[in-house]
Order: sequence, then structure tokens, then C-alpha cells
Amino acid sequence: MSEKPSGSMPFRRLDARMLLVHPVQEAVRFLPALVALFVTGRSSDRSPLWDLGALVVVIVLGMSRWFTTRYRISGGQIELRSGLFTRKVLATPADRVRTVDVTAPIWHRLVGLARVEIGTGSSRAMDDRIVLDALAAPVAQALRAELLHRAATLTPPTPASGSGAVIGEDGQPSLPSPAQGAIPVDLPPPTVEQDLMTLNPRWIAYAPLTTSGLLTALAVWGFVSQYLVDLIPTIESAVGQVQAWGVWISLAVGVLMALAAIAGMAITAYVLQFWGFRLSRHSGGTLHVTRGLLTTHATSLEEARIRGLEIGEPLGLRWAKAGRLHAIGTGLRSGDGADRGRAWLVPPAPRDVVEGVARLVLGRVEPLDTTLEQHGPAARRRRYVRAVVPAALLAGLATWGWVRGDLPGLVTLTAYLPLVVSPLLARDRYAALGHALTAEYVVARSGSIERRRDVVARAGVVGVVTRATFFQRRAGVATVVVATAAGRQGYRILDVPAERSEELVVELVPQARAFCDSVS
Amino acid sequence: MPWTLGGGLLGDVTGLSSLVLLRPPAHRVSPRARVLWRIEALLGALPVLAAQAFWWLRDPASPRPIQVWLLVATIAIDTAYLVVMPIWRYRVHRWEVTDEAVYTQTGWLTQERRIAPITRIQTVDLTRGPVAGMLRLASVRVTTASSAGPLRIHGLDHAEAVALVERLTTLTIADPGDAT
Repeated sequence: MSEKPSGSMPFRRLDARMLLVHPVQEAVRFLPALVALFVTGRSSDRSPLWDLGALVVVIVLGMSRWFTTRYRISGGQIELRSGLFTRKVLATPADRVRTVDVTAPIWHRLVGLARVEIGTGSSRAMDDRIVLDALAAPVAQALRAELLHRAATLTPPTPASGSGAVIGEDGQPSLPSPAQGAIPVDLPPPTVEQDLMTLNPRWIAYAPLTTSGLLTALAVWGFVSQYLVDLIPTIESAVGQVQAWGVWISLAVGVLMALAAIAGMAITAYVLQFWGFRLSRHSGGTLHVTRGLLTTHATSLEEARIRGLEIGEPLGLRWAKAGRLHAIGTGLRSGDGADRGRAWLVPPAPRDVVEGVARLVLGRVEPLDTTLEQHGPAARRRRYVRAVVPAALLAGLATWGWVRGDLPGLVTLTAYLPLVVSPLLARDRYAALGHALTAEYVVARSGSIERRRDVVARAGVVGVVTRATFFQRRAGVATVVVATAAGRQGYRILDVPAERSEELVVELVPQARAFCDSVS
Repeated sequence: MPWTLGGGLLGDVTGLSSLVLLRPPAHRVSPRARVLWRIEALLGALPVLAAQAFWWLRDPASPRPIQVWLLVATIAIDTAYLVVMPIWRYRVHRWEVTDEAVYTQTGWLTQERRIAPITRIQTVDLTRGPVAGMLRLASVRVTTASSAGPLRIHGLDHAEAVALVERLTTLTIADPGDAT
């Protein structure tokens, strides 16, 4: 790992304090296994030494990263050298940087560290992500400012430095040619920061109306159920209690307790995720989001890379006149699962706040204010058929079971509940269904329980897919999928009348005009 | 609304196209593609039949009524699939390339049309499986920066596929940019 003389900046190491943090972090991750070990006396037939051995190996491997990882930002390039057995050199032009995430989990914060994650604009997920875990918090902030400034001003590179292994993705020209020969300036000019939104603690009341509490509860249940065998005595005593109280009271108590638990978890999740939420805009052309109670996140997005918004209005939030807002952009690699490729702009908050921020970010009002074109009677019929038919089948099956004497009457009655609700669901789903085209954006809305309005920049459309199942063709509708490099990658416009779908294709991809008969 | 799907199973199979604006892509894939799809379907059906044969051989009480019904159903479904699917698909599968865009139409029960501008293309690749190789066929796949929109043309004549890849590559090189 000798550093070649390159005439410019030397390679930097990660912060040595990570050697302190890392073992603690890994030990905590192993904690449930260790607790189970000590509580039950044995987790399984294998010796507890195995668990401890695995923990030690993980810690040693993690700590070796400090000795093997070096990075530098020099001559318009970010270089990262890493790997214990396989040496890896990753180099990427600084002007490819799209997002910089600074995350500080609780242990990092205790010793003043932060983790930096740099996203570049490649369509591939993992090969191009640069993670520096961890740097001193001020160094991390300075690095973020420096990178985003470079990205904004396109500093010309100095000729071939250091490793010489310039890995340009996709075989594209990796850097603009150093024509003007100016000297890169390391200090960004003072930037002006403008606050767009800060969290109002009162919005925490919206937390129980989202599905996150339910999901957390399910996750906890999944975790606990692994240790269910150990809980058998508790369960037996609960069964005794049920017999003493009678079924109805027990049921009511159980439901109330479950609801309270779910609400509690939703509130906890909201506070952990969104405490201190602040969205601001820098004059350099970036949006900054900072949030989090124990683990703090600081995300920076280059505004030129934002390809649209997702305005979420799930049932509960809609009922409370609230919503939430995500930005979608290329090179957004932060977050897991559903958050992948998207960044929070507004946590669950009043609708006015959501729409206000959406206007500020888009810089225009048309995509939000325009009336959506409805999809017509065929689409409405399909909403009803798709909601009512499965519910009717369920009710029919239950009735059959009741007639044969296999099912108690109460269960049969419960099976009729979906049938009662389904027409309402269908009506609400059709009411939401619609799309619109403005000069710069395509807007699509759909869903009832998870209603969403997607606003996608037409400049970011990389293709269009029209899909029609056998039944859709019979009904004379088709689903148009707008393909984009950002967010969910494909945004669906559901059940558009067939002729309109063809117009949409041509409007979204003007090159498709070559494939049209000369009718229009 | 003058939209109809002409009656029978194989009626107006390219239903998407029956109206005003967008016409189907100009070129069909190779007629040998039908053979390819049929062989692939057959290979897919074999494990199910093999599993049933195994059951017949191992179960001393064979043939039970349920085994017979299962076999009859399997053979009926497979035969229908083998006969209908390739013909239907061959009628649907079409492609076209201009200097500005790629356009494909695929599927049979569920049909799809995909259009991507040349400027948005990121990769073009050609694949030929063992069966396709024997039939001198190949598939071309065109990807964009979005994982939602790759275009695939199955069952092209191999020489035609090679020429297509070459043309697309030339067109794509002529247009630099990061295609996002």
C-alpha cells in the first residue's frame, strides 16, 4: 500500500476513533443473540463460543478497514483504495457526484464521528458507491461542502495523477478536457442558505395514521416469535385470563392493546426518523435535508439531478388533511427498501406544508394545480370489478363453508366485511385515478389506501412502455409506464383509454412520431 | 369508442394497434422463432410430466383417478399452450429501429410496446442460448438508464441480429452523453 508520489494531495486515512466505535457497534448487533444465550442458557446445541468467535472475526475484519482504506480528493478526482486481500482502487471524477450523505449513528455521535456516503450518477447500484466510515464530524461536513461545490462548478482536472486507474463508468468520457487550465480552488465561496421547512413537533400526531407503526409492530412480532417457545408459560397464563374475562371483553382489550402498541411504535419511529427535520436550499444549487434523533442523517441533493416528486397521501393521512413528500433523483442511493432512490423532503405533515415545499422545489405550480384527466367509464368499471369480485368470492366460499357446517356463523359474517367495503374502495380508487401533462412534467395519481401523486420531469423520461393484459384490451384500456433513471424507475399511469395511451406515448417520446400513421 | 377486440382467440391479437395513432413496428421476427418458443415451452413442461411419472412409478396403488385426471389436464393444457402460444406470439412480436428510436412489441396474453429514444440507450447486447443457436436465432437486448425499460427482441435471425446490434452501436456512439 505504498503511496506513489503524485505531486498533489496525499492520501488520507479514516478517523482512528472508528477503532473504538466499531467493536461496540458490532457487539450491539450481536446483542439479541447474546441475550438469548444468557437468558435461556443455550441458543441451540452449538457452543456459545461459536457466537463469540464470529463476533471477534467480524470485529477484526471491520477494524482492518482502518489500516487498508485510504482516500483523497485531488485534481478533480475522488480516489478510494480499500480491501485487505484484494486491493481495490476506485476513482471517480468529482463532477459525477450527485449526492452526499452524512450519517451519524448513535455510537458515532458519542465520539464525534460521521459516515460519508457519496453517490455518483451511474445506473448500477453497488459498484460506484463510495463509503467512508468514519470521519471526524467536521471533516465529514467540510468534505460534503467541498464535493458539492466541485460538482457545481466543474473544476478542471490536473493531468494524470497517482494510480492512473481511472475507472470511467459505462466507457464514457470520464472528464471534461482540461482546456482552460485554471487552478482548482479548494475553498468554496460563501454560500447562502435558505430554509424551506423545519419540523413542527405537533406533526408527531400524524405518526399513528401512517402504516409505519403497523410495519414496526409486525417486525417486532417476527423477532419475538422466534423466542415464542420461551414464552409458553406467559401465554398459558394469558389463556387463563381470557377464560376468566370471557371472549368479548378479552377481544376488546386485546384490540385496544394492539392499537396502543402500534400507535406507540409509530410515534417512536416518527421521532427517531424525523426529529429536527430541516430542509434548506443552498445558493450552490443543492437541497439539504438533516433529520434524526439518535442516528442523524444529512443528505445533499444536487437540484439539477432531481427528476420529480412523489406526493404520498395514504388513507390515514388523507383523512387528517396531511401528506408526505419525497424527491426522486438520479444517483440517489441512500436508504433501504422503499426509500431507495428517493429522499424525504417532508415527513408526514399538513397538506399545505407538503404542497408549499413541492412548489418551492419544482419552482412552478402547474404540476400541482393542474386538474387531472380522468380515465373514463372502462377504468371505473375495472376498479369495481377488481375490488368486488375477489370480495364476493371470499363471501361465497365462507357461505358455502357455513352451509356445510364447517364454519361458525360469526366467522362467516366477518367474511362479508370486505364485500361491504369493496365498493367504497373502488369508488375511492377511481376518484384518485388520473394523469396530466404539463410543459415540463407528467403527473400521475392512483391508489386509495396508498394514494400517490407522482410528478416526473419529461426531460428525465428515458422510454415508454404500454402494457395491456387480455382483459385490459377487451376493456379498451392500457397501462402506460414512464421509464426514468430516478426513484422507482418506472411510474405507472393505470388504465388509460387506448387511444389516449397512444397519444401519451408520442407526447412523452416525440421520436415515436416516426411510428405513427398519418392520421393526426 | 371504436375500440374492439375482434372476437375469437386469435382474432385481432395485436389489439393495441387497432386505432388511430401508433402502428405496430414494421418487422416480424424470424418464422423459426415459433419453433424456438415451442421447444422452450416443451422443455418447461417436461419437469411437471417427469414428476407425475415418478409418482406413478413409486405409488403401488397407481393409477389412482386423481393421477389420471392430473395427467389428462397437464397434457391438455400443455398441448393447447404448445399449439396456440407460438402462433399468437409470432403474430404479436415485432420490432423497428429508426435513426431516432427503437420500438418493440412483445407478448401474447399480456402485450407490451416499448419505445426508447436512441439518445437514451446505454447498452446493446446479443445473446443466443443453445436451442436458439441450433436454429440460427439470437435475442437482442437494449437497456436504458432505467431498470424499468429494457427492450428485448426474441427470436431474430442471427445474421439480422448481428447487423441490428452493429447499427444500434453505431447510432449510440454518434450520440455521447450520460443518457439519464
